[in-house]
Amino acid sequence: MATYSGRKTKNTVMMTLCAVAAAFGLMWLALILFDLIYEGISGVNWAVFSEMTPPPGDEGGLLNPIVGSLIMTAIAVAVGTPIGILAGTYMAEYGRHDKMTNVIRFINDILLSAPSIIVGLFIYELMVRTMGHFSAIAGAMALAIIVLPVIVRTTEDMLLLVPDALREAGTAVGAPRWIVIRSVAYKAASAGMITGVLLAIARISGETAPLLFTALNNQFWSTDLNAPMASLPVTIFQFALSPYDSWQSLAWAGALIITVAVLTLSIVARVVTAQKEDR
Amino acid sequence: MNFQSVSEPVARQDATGRPAPRISGQPKIELKDVSFFYGKSQAIKDIRMTLPERAVTAFIGPSGCGKSTLLRMFNRIYEIYPNQRAEGEILLDGENILQKSQDLNLLRARVGMVFQKPTPFPMSIYENIAFGIRLYEKLGRTEMDERVEKALRRAALWEEVKDKLSTSGLGLSGGQQQRLCIARTVAVRPEVILLDEPCSALDPISTAKIEELIDELKEEYTIAIVTHNMQQAARVSDLTAFMYLGELIEFDETNKIFTSPNNPKTEEYITGRFG
Repeated sequence: MATYSGRKTKNTVMMTLCAVAAAFGLMWLALILFDLIYEGISGVNWAVFSEMTPPPGDEGGLLNPIVGSLIMTAIAVAVGTPIGILAGTYMAEYGRHDKMTNVIRFINDILLSAPSIIVGLFIYELMVRTMGHFSAIAGAMALAIIVLPVIVRTTEDMLLLVPDALREAGTAVGAPRWIVIRSVAYKAASAGMITGVLLAIARISGETAPLLFTALNNQFWSTDLNAPMASLPVTIFQFALSPYDSWQSLAWAGALIITVAVLTLSIVARVVTAQKEDR
Repeated sequence: MNFQSVSEPVARQDATGRPAPRISGQPKIELKDVSFFYGKSQAIKDIRMTLPERAVTAFIGPSGCGKSTLLRMFNRIYEIYPNQRAEGEILLDGENILQKSQDLNLLRARVGMVFQKPTPFPMSIYENIAFGIRLYEKLGRTEMDERVEKALRRAALWEEVKDKLSTSGLGLSGGQQQRLCIARTVAVRPEVILLDEPCSALDPISTAKIEELIDELKEEYTIAIVTHNMQQAARVSDLTAFMYLGELIEFDETNKIFTSPNNPKTEEYITGRFG
């Protein structure tokens, strides 16, 4: 009985430690969210979504950075997703036993954890210097390079989770390999792959560093891909550092908008996964 | 259930001295010195045998004896993995399916397979059936509906699913899923059906249904079944092959194998002394 009560005590101690550690970690998240909502909510109004960024000291909104972020994110995802899915498909389906796949996976993991400012500098050298000016398309490409490894990774992981029995079953009815991949493996892995794309979007919607040297920023309305374009993260960066109250308030509002957008994406990703698993 | 033998046994040995049953039906699949390798290790050793048309041939033997491996050679499904290799000749209607020029997809349409665990595709019940048909035939909506219904009826599943064809195949019970897999296999109109322990994941009632189905299906199809369950082999098959360590020890009519086997190893296995 002594050992039993001893084990019970140990159990309680460990459980308490774990609970405290979890609470400590979550506390910061809660504080950040609370602070963000507290400071940002007052700045969020209709003008934020309908007016351009103001000159210093004036009232205005964040319409051009919001649209700029949407445009660049859309291009980045449109470029990064197909390449990423194809690469992930090669790794999980065609080249699963190749040495090449291990090399690609290793490099992809490095790219996945590379500081995003490096990506920004790379595109700066590759596109901005050769074109001679900052541009939205350069910003979108920098974001695409960040999207790419996320998609490659999730696609490969999700396809590897598809049991071989399912591929065998598809093959056994006489389906060629590419149809087995397209109609059976992709279908089985679709929830995870969609989640990967959503998480990639979430990841780049807050990226500032790769845009600083590429898309720069723009105080004015512009949808020209060949010209500098405003984006939410860079605008927040610039406005938050400024001494003007109206700019600072817009920076808080922008931060709140990004956070809510990312949170929504994450929740959608969860719901998609959960629904697929239910069936 | 049908326990009749295919014919009266006449010769028990072929020219090489290996055991071979006398078969009256047309030979559907002939194996000539067939071997199989996983990398360097040999899993099947020089097997020769003949599976007759429209009969059920059961493969029994202890785990790892190569019976599933042998079955997986008949539709060359092993080709999707690297480092797996077959030697010898397997004649399907007299043509060697192991030759390089063999169209694998066509072969698999002719030789269907049902696996140990039910593997419905992640799509609707209807699509599960239509998937295979669409690969080789262009059918109109009504024709396709008919084919799907026919396949599901063939697999004794129609009454249970006719009102929920558009729901996911994953929502069915294990036994229903396995019958869906059989329906899917039958739908592409194969000539041979391979069953790799089709009932090992099922309850007794589902097992009984599948066994009844096998008995009906052999009117039209040549069936090869791998099973761990000796009663099942005795119940459903016309011929039984006993394998051990990659070799074919004895192949004969099921009645003969289960009542008076020639080889003492067969008898030991059947009476449960090893395996």
